[in-house]
Amino acid sequence: MATTSKQYLTRGEDLWKGRAEKVNAELFALTYGALVVQLIQDYEDFAEVNKQLEKMGYNIGTRLIEDFLAKSGLGRCTDFREVGEVIAKVGFKSFLNIVPSVTHNAPVPNSSRPTSTGSAPQVDNGSSFVLTFDENPLAEFVELPEDVLEGGLWFSNVLCGVIRGALEMVQMQVQAEFISDVLRGDEATEIRVRLVKYLEEEVPVGDD
Amino acid sequence: MSHHLFILSPSDTPIYSLTYSSTKPAGNVSSPLSSNLPTWSTSAFAGTLTALSGASSTTQHTSGGGVRIGGGQDRHVIQMIANASLDAVEEVMRKENTMYLKSVDKFNEWTVSAFITPGNSKFILLHEAKNDEGIRAFFTDVWELYVKTVMNPFHSAQRVIKSNVFDARCRASAKKYL
Repeated sequence: MATTSKQYLTRGEDLWKGRAEKVNAELFALTYGALVVQLIQDYEDFAEVNKQLEKMGYNIGTRLIEDFLAKSGLGRCTDFREVGEVIAKVGFKSFLNIVPSVTHNAPVPNSSRPTSTGSAPQVDNGSSFVLTFDENPLAEFVELPEDVLEGGLWFSNVLCGVIRGALEMVQMQVQAEFISDVLRGDEATEIRVRLVKYLEEEVPVGDD
Repeated sequence: MSHHLFILSPSDTPIYSLTYSSTKPAGNVSSPLSSNLPTWSTSAFAGTLTALSGASSTTQHTSGGGVRIGGGQDRHVIQMIANASLDAVEEVMRKENTMYLKSVDKFNEWTVSAFITPGNSKFILLHEAKNDEGIRAFFTDVWELYVKTVMNPFHSAQRVIKSNVFDARCRASAKKYL
């Protein structure tokens, strides 16, 4: 049964309302802001801070996906396009109460790719979607000073890690990165998520 | 007619200052001293005297009162006035509980109004004319902008506020109320 975009939105809305414990948005934003500032003071290198934020996000994502699948009861997504829809309309909605808009991109055709006899998911490799945020609860009140702007910090990089960690737990290896950020003076805040490959189930070593 | 706003942290370090010239007519604000000076004393002495008399202008010898512009040479006088008023501010602060302390001090033609935030930051405004309601509204506006700036995780309590956004918004608010 194909789930339509509207049904995803309703599902996300229900999940958000059904969640009993919510936290004050200002407290959340201030906590995250303090975290980023502390990381900057500790590492003093903005590329490193980006990496650490992504790693933290990865750890969050690997745990978050279980909670998400349990509460939402959604089944496996048929293709990568659907993954994008679910993340934007149900995932972000139920955890942050925002719905970023999704723009899908077909995989870049690669003529040198050997013809595979694999199933349909192989075709998805390399496809991507872009999430465009018109509001970012993590970055309320934040204004980046000049040295931070020049250093190349992606303030909300934890979100990229969350997406990567969550999708890895459902057998998809992706690359998630920021393309633009309003904090940096760009027009919009965008994350591109690109599918690298589907992960095969691996039999643990030692099993017969 | 110009206004000078100073924002001081709880430890009295200046965090922000703004000079704003209003286009609204302020009535006759000629300084009593400078009008008595003979026209030949255009030397530095006269400059100092007019500066000390609190007039914020490079001396304009046009008859009938020229337009007064905030002069760079008088900056130190303005700051002296602001600093001197801090004692008066503290005195009133102890007695009253309200945030907006109306006019706390007077220096020739300059009146000093103060606003104390709950976090003990002081906003000092030097102005020439009486404009209680406008100034109160202006202070409240600046307070809101200040709170938003302080919430920025990259801002530290003692540092000078360098944000252009804050500056632009303060000016817009000054334009609206002063």
